[in-house]
Amino acid sequence: MSSPFALVLDGLTRQRGVRASLIVSESDGLVVDSNLRFGQDGDRVAALAASMYRKARLSAKAARLGAVAFLQLDAERGRICAVGGRGDLVLVVVADPAANVGLIRMELLKALETLE
Amino acid sequence: MSDDIRRWSDELARDPSSLVFLQLSDALRKQGQLEVALKIALRGLDRHQRSADAHDLVARIAVDRRDFDRAYSEWETVLKIAPSHVGAMKGLGYVCFQQGRLEDAERYLARAAAGGSDSGVNTALATVRRTSGGYSLPPAESVVRDGGNDPQYLFADLLIDDGQTALLLDASGLVLAGIYVDGDGHNVSQDVGAQLSGISDEVRRSAKHLDIGDWKSITFETQAAVVAMSPGSSDSLIVVAASRATPLGLLRRLLDRCAVRAGEWLKAPSKYGEGV
Repeated sequence: MSSPFALVLDGLTRQRGVRASLIVSESDGLVVDSNLRFGQDGDRVAALAASMYRKARLSAKAARLGAVAFLQLDAERGRICAVGGRGDLVLVVVADPAANVGLIRMELLKALETLE
Repeated sequence: MSDDIRRWSDELARDPSSLVFLQLSDALRKQGQLEVALKIALRGLDRHQRSADAHDLVARIAVDRRDFDRAYSEWETVLKIAPSHVGAMKGLGYVCFQQGRLEDAERYLARAAAGGSDSGVNTALATVRRTSGGYSLPPAESVVRDGGNDPQYLFADLLIDDGQTALLLDASGLVLAGIYVDGDGHNVSQDVGAQLSGISDEVRRSAKHLDIGDWKSITFETQAAVVAMSPGSSDSLIVVAASRATPLGLLRRLLDRCAVRAGEWLKAPSKYGEGV
């Protein structure tokens, strides 16, 4: 039986350069659902993304910048992009360094709307 | 802030001719709600067409929307109404700088500086002069000297826009240099540092396990700003923030320049009079 998030995750993973997509809980860093390739460490991605998102949200709160809309980690051989909404869920994508971030950002924000 | 917005909104609803639209619209602008802010400002401007502050507000919203032509025209109007309006001179200097009109930018900023503006104008003026090549500005140490060796001013000359702010944190999230100012002008450096403490180490360890190599930057967008950070030497963290209207590519360049400055400062504290 497919989860209610399967369609959203499938849509994200179909984007060019996207290696994996996940829905994680920001508060505990656990995977709610994921679309991963064999061998990918979803738990670690989830923990990292949730932690980064939480730190971004709290620092934005401290600086009175309002809610965090989109977060992006750039590393030498990969990227992690995340968006969060009003609730606890954070949508996460792991992508190649050469992937089109603008497109991924748009798809993530669109996908987030379907979750809310 | 949201309580204030509600209060000002109610007040404006009760009395549409009230000048409270200035505060309401500016607060919404700072929150990144630019279209609503513009609508309120224009409605207020209709009723107060000779108000320099109203034109100034519309100009600032226009800058956030990257509508530099509109901003230029509004600030010109401000100067017709109030010829000594320093904010308008500063704004025109910024717009001209953005449009590559460096001589005009310098002229406006020099007028603003002569009009007794804050130190930000002097650093902006120095940046324009350095960019135009008309004057030679010594590198970072001059800024620190100007700031009385205060590390808070380490990035001052790199930050042109009012909304830009930069901070250097150590591995524990303690502030080493720079300053993080919120939209109301409060120094929230320590609060931001505390919330970001440990992020560098955590990302480095996770990136290693995920085999994505060394991390280069983290960028996030909020309702009011874009924030970027990158790892520095000695486990430090450089954080910069700019208004939401700032293109991400420009923010990245600003981050790179702040990182270079932070690296120089950490390496040669004696050269800058302060440091670690």
